[in-house]
Amino acid sequence: MELIHEFTVPADVATTFATFDDVESVAECFPGAQVTSVDGDSFTGSVKIKLGPIALTFNGVGEFRERRLAEDGSSGRMVLSAKGKDKRGNGTAGAEAVVVLTPGEGTTGGPATDVEVRTDLQIGGKVASMGRGLVQEVSNKMLGRFTDCLEGKLTGPAGATRG
Amino acid sequence: MIPAPFEYARPTSVDEALGLLAGSDDAKVIAGGQSLLPVLRMRLNAPELVVDIGRIPALHGIRDVAGGGAVAGGGGAIEIGAMTPYHELLASDEIRTELGLLHDAVASVGDPQIRHRGTLGGSLAHADPAGDCGAVALALEAEMVIAGPAGERVVPAADFFQDLFTTAVGEDELLVAVRFPVHPGWGSRYEKFVRTAQQWPIVAVGACVHMADGKTISAARIGLTNMGPTPLRARAVEEALVGVEPTAQAVGAACAAVADGTSPPSDLNGDADYRRHLATVLARRAVLAAAGAA
Amino acid sequence: MTTTEEAPAAPADEIGRDRRRKEDRRLITGRTHWTDNIVLPGTLHLAMVRSPFAHANITGIDTRAAAQAPNVVAVLTGTDLAATQGVLANAWPITPDQVTPEHKPVAVDRVAFAGEIVAVVVARSAAAAADAADLVDVDYDELPAALDLRTAAAATPENGGAIAHPDLGTNNSAQWIFDSAQAGTGGNVEDAIAAARADGIVIEREYRQQRLIPAFMEPRSVVVDPTGEQITVWSATQIPHIARFLLAATTGVPESKIRYIAPDVGGGFGGKLQTTPEEWAAFAVARRFGKPVKYTETRSESLQSAHHGRDQWQKLTLAATNDGTVTGLKVELLADLGAYVALVGGGVPVLGAFMFNAIYKFPAYRFDCRTVLTNKAWTDAYRGAGRPEATFAIERLMDELAAELGRDPLEVRRQNWITHDEFPFTTVAGLTYDSGDYESATAQAVDAFGYEDLRAEQARRREAGDPVQLGIGVSTFTEMCGLAPSRVLGSLDYGAGGWEHAEIRMLPTGKVEVVTGASAHGQGHETAFSQIVADRLGVPFEDVEVLHGDTQVAPRGLDTYGSRSLTVGGEALALAADKVVAKAKPWAAHLLEADPRDIEFSRGTFAVSGTGEGKTIQEIALAAFAAHDYPEGIEPGIDAEVTFDPVNFSFPHGTHLCAVEVDTETGAVRLRKYVCVDDVGTVINPLIVAGQVHGGLVQGIAQALWEEAVYDESGTLLTGTLADYLVPSAADLISFDTAHRSTPATSNSLGAKGVGEAGTIASTPAVVNAVVDAIRPYGVHDVEMPCTPARVWRAIQDGSAS
Ligand SMILES: Cc1cc2nc3c(=O)[nH]c(=O)nc-3n(C[C@H](O)[C@H](O)[C@H](O)COP(=O)(O)OP(=O)(O)OC[C@H]3O[C@@H](n4cnc5c(N)ncnc54)[C@H](O)[C@@H]3O)c2cc1C
Repeated sequence: MELIHEFTVPADVATTFATFDDVESVAECFPGAQVTSVDGDSFTGSVKIKLGPIALTFNGVGEFRERRLAEDGSSGRMVLSAKGKDKRGNGTAGAEAVVVLTPGEGTTGGPATDVEVRTDLQIGGKVASMGRGLVQEVSNKMLGRFTDCLEGKLTGPAGATRG
Repeated sequence: MIPAPFEYARPTSVDEALGLLAGSDDAKVIAGGQSLLPVLRMRLNAPELVVDIGRIPALHGIRDVAGGGAVAGGGGAIEIGAMTPYHELLASDEIRTELGLLHDAVASVGDPQIRHRGTLGGSLAHADPAGDCGAVALALEAEMVIAGPAGERVVPAADFFQDLFTTAVGEDELLVAVRFPVHPGWGSRYEKFVRTAQQWPIVAVGACVHMADGKTISAARIGLTNMGPTPLRARAVEEALVGVEPTAQAVGAACAAVADGTSPPSDLNGDADYRRHLATVLARRAVLAAAGAA
Repeated sequence: MTTTEEAPAAPADEIGRDRRRKEDRRLITGRTHWTDNIVLPGTLHLAMVRSPFAHANITGIDTRAAAQAPNVVAVLTGTDLAATQGVLANAWPITPDQVTPEHKPVAVDRVAFAGEIVAVVVARSAAAAADAADLVDVDYDELPAALDLRTAAAATPENGGAIAHPDLGTNNSAQWIFDSAQAGTGGNVEDAIAAARADGIVIEREYRQQRLIPAFMEPRSVVVDPTGEQITVWSATQIPHIARFLLAATTGVPESKIRYIAPDVGGGFGGKLQTTPEEWAAFAVARRFGKPVKYTETRSESLQSAHHGRDQWQKLTLAATNDGTVTGLKVELLADLGAYVALVGGGVPVLGAFMFNAIYKFPAYRFDCRTVLTNKAWTDAYRGAGRPEATFAIERLMDELAAELGRDPLEVRRQNWITHDEFPFTTVAGLTYDSGDYESATAQAVDAFGYEDLRAEQARRREAGDPVQLGIGVSTFTEMCGLAPSRVLGSLDYGAGGWEHAEIRMLPTGKVEVVTGASAHGQGHETAFSQIVADRLGVPFEDVEVLHGDTQVAPRGLDTYGSRSLTVGGEALALAADKVVAKAKPWAAHLLEADPRDIEFSRGTFAVSGTGEGKTIQEIALAAFAAHDYPEGIEPGIDAEVTFDPVNFSFPHGTHLCAVEVDTETGAVRLRKYVCVDDVGTVINPLIVAGQVHGGLVQGIAQALWEEAVYDESGTLLTGTLADYLVPSAADLISFDTAHRSTPATSNSLGAKGVGEAGTIASTPAVVNAVVDAIRPYGVHDVEMPCTPARVWRAIQDGSAS
């Protein structure tokens, strides 16, 4: 499934890019995520998903496949892929997130960046057969919280405009 | 399907239950088990401790409470213990006559076995966006009584449902009762749309309508099931219905915007657009029926 | 329960009698042996570790943590079992060059569908096995998965398409063609189509047969006990005899060392017409440890990895003259095999090949089918197997033709069908239909349905622009069943014959033991077979005991599927009863001191004509047991055995009429009326026939309206629970009006035709025709199955006239 989240932050593309560049800071935003080690472009960690009656812990590895900031700072793009499995073998998750940063229109006339996070998520195993398409809802929710947090980080309390 | 091993406790008082919850950082309350057990059996959760609240007398039963307190409206209220199973609600004349909307919604849940075990409190605490009781609680402006380490608090339904499967009940708290204000003289209808009888609603609309003069709608309450991550209340439609005669055309027009601002899911039963469309049809039908015009 | 007892009937009044099923008390109360109830001392329990990926290389399996978990005996991978697990065979390679991937019960280095077994946990309790299965850590390297049928059919290594089994280099398993011009059974279909294009009508349609899941009530279960000289296997299977043969053939264990038992089995619908990885793995593990083992699947495992059914793409071209006489039919099929060619998986579409022409006199016909491998659960027989797909296609097309002509669909059928006086009739597909009467069945159905009144109501609703529209659907089906003449099966390259075996043992106490090679799993064989034997031998129904499903008790048999038990197994039994009577006659004559030629047998008594003297068959059974006094030259016993091989299929038919109400605002479809008049030949037990028809209708209607197995884009089954795979219940259906007429079959002495699949085969097109009929004024001429409210509503929105 493909999930798209968009928001605008009041910072220029280069600043926004720098924030995204920091694995630990980004990971911190993912609900229940913990980075256990970082090695260059790769990292390992776990994500604990707790939602209502469901509680799953995914362990996995991830890497930055691409991290590119245009020389003139006019655009940025990064591709992050991660893959993990539930510690009880009840599910697998694979994700590729493409983050695209483009200059946006700020509300206050200052610098702004439009952020688009396009995530291709594959959930397999028993979790995916949980029923009624709930896994879609849960995934969307988790990613929503993730991007909300990123947005918050980049925006500070000042508030952002929804794209 | 065998769940992962867990410890099991069966407290006999709310305090004992709260103590058990406080003493574990991986505990799960079990009420009727109709939502929790499937999850445990599919091993989508493996709590250390399962706290069975089925033997706590205080959580059980249907009682009248005075019209005062936090409950609005002069009609008094009915308090239902969280552990009261659906089938007891269905067997109660009082619920049928005073809380028709709840009665009808509950009658549509699952099948007899599920209605025998499943509880009102479990359903609300579970906060499944497709659960039938949430929209009813919103439409009837129910209040939730929550007990926790710091004592009891009362949360209006409007603040209770926070997100997908997420409510105001904290991990160390229990939902102990639900208070439904009685709306004397109101009509109601729960329109649930399913493909097979034993299915969660694809969309459902609960409507309560008052016609003070017997001719036009003087007040309406509309709750929506499965039109977003939480049950929703369609306040704009409620307002648009005031003063409207209960004809298909007028009510249809007032309900046309019922899906505005909702974010229904897409799944094998239909995509979000289809659900938005369904909501308008079901809202019209529910309101007309509630107004005695269908 | 005493009030339900029926008074013993006078012997010989059994055939045609409404008998409550004698097996139901134990089946309904559960006081019987289901496989999972069998508890042997020291049993080890299995849990399967299954692949979450549709297609992946297995790069490592870490079993250490699981092996050390409490009460775990071992964790075995495909590599551990390589030498003993055998393979799962395809019994019906439909062409000599069929591409057939090797199917190991436990995958060794690659998995080809999500749900394939990669390791087996062996533990002292089922709970311990399940807990330890969580701890098996498997590493996979995902491979591109072939999922969509049409995409997979077109994929090649050259065009970069995903190949389900890369080593095979293709997804196309086999191509099977029947052409009436080549077979000499009819004309050239391309000529017919060309002629109709020039002057006539050509209807072209594509229909999808969605993937279905048999969803039998009892999940599959297997117990293997290697204690003693023989290895005993209990399995919730339809086919103990075939399974025993194949287990021996693929593991090298002598067949005589295997005893296979299907105890009471809770439904199958074709879903248990399989030799399964789970049975094979359990067999290997039991042999390895020398202890009994048990495995019972969960419902989720069943939905995910037991075989599925249907899943075809049909491209159809029907040619007709301007006045509605059909001149030719061309069928191009793609059939999704899933990841492996199952036991008779490839053969399922071939079973349909002879049925697209149905009850009609088409002069030209061509059937071209390709079977395609994908990375999904394997497919195989599901109630009707091949024939529902064919019936759906032709009955939908006949309605489309009628719509094109602006004529009543019944009228167009009448114009094209084989008339009663034309039987026996050899069809364009080369079959000879022995009996039938489409006119009478249709007339009776039309009458019971109130066809004209409903058409009038439909017109009124259309006129009034009623948001609830009425639709009427017709299905005048036939099918071929009673599988099958062994020679015909041989000519189709099927691996076995189609005969059935029966034995009657006359016990000295006067009771009768009947042994059948059919293997009941809910159909009511014990009752119907008792009726046949009671009738032919003149013994009380209650005195007949039917034994089945155990290769030691019923050593010869070909089991139950394809609506064959009564027409083949029942006939074997009837012939065995005749043999008993023939063997008993010299005994009677001897004891009565009469000439055998003067002995008449009637209602259980051998009498000397013209005298009041006689001996009952029970008395003769006792005399034969004692064997103190009997004529020279005969054996001391009157038991008999018969193996019966039918000379033809049986061809039940019927007219099904369905009315639905479609709520055009929501797309909801509500059944309003369902009438069917089926001709299943002689009816042994009307109650059982009604039950088979009702159940069959529900499964067929479920295909039309509710059921569909859906995979996501990575090959995960989304309908993995019964909350998503919508099996209907009584609450979703209406009361059916079922009736029957009878033109006896000529291929067996009972005159019976099969009934097990009829309802399923007939009902799906009746319902979809009704749905389409209701909304045709909106410019709709098809709704994909299942006709969900969302699809129906969308069709109305997209219709050209909306
Ligand atoms: C086949 C099937 C069909 C169904 N169909 C429908 C339907 O059509 N409509 C519908 O609305 N529902 C349906 N349900 C769900 C059913 O209504 C459940 O009973 C209900 O959602 C949960 O109630 P329970 O008492 O069984 O709670 P449980 O399953 O015991 O608990 C559910 C969750 O709530 C928590 N919880 C329970 N009670 C409390 C409490 N007092 N305080 C704090 N937390 C608590 C538990 O920890 C758990 O997380 C269906 C269920 C099944 C199995």
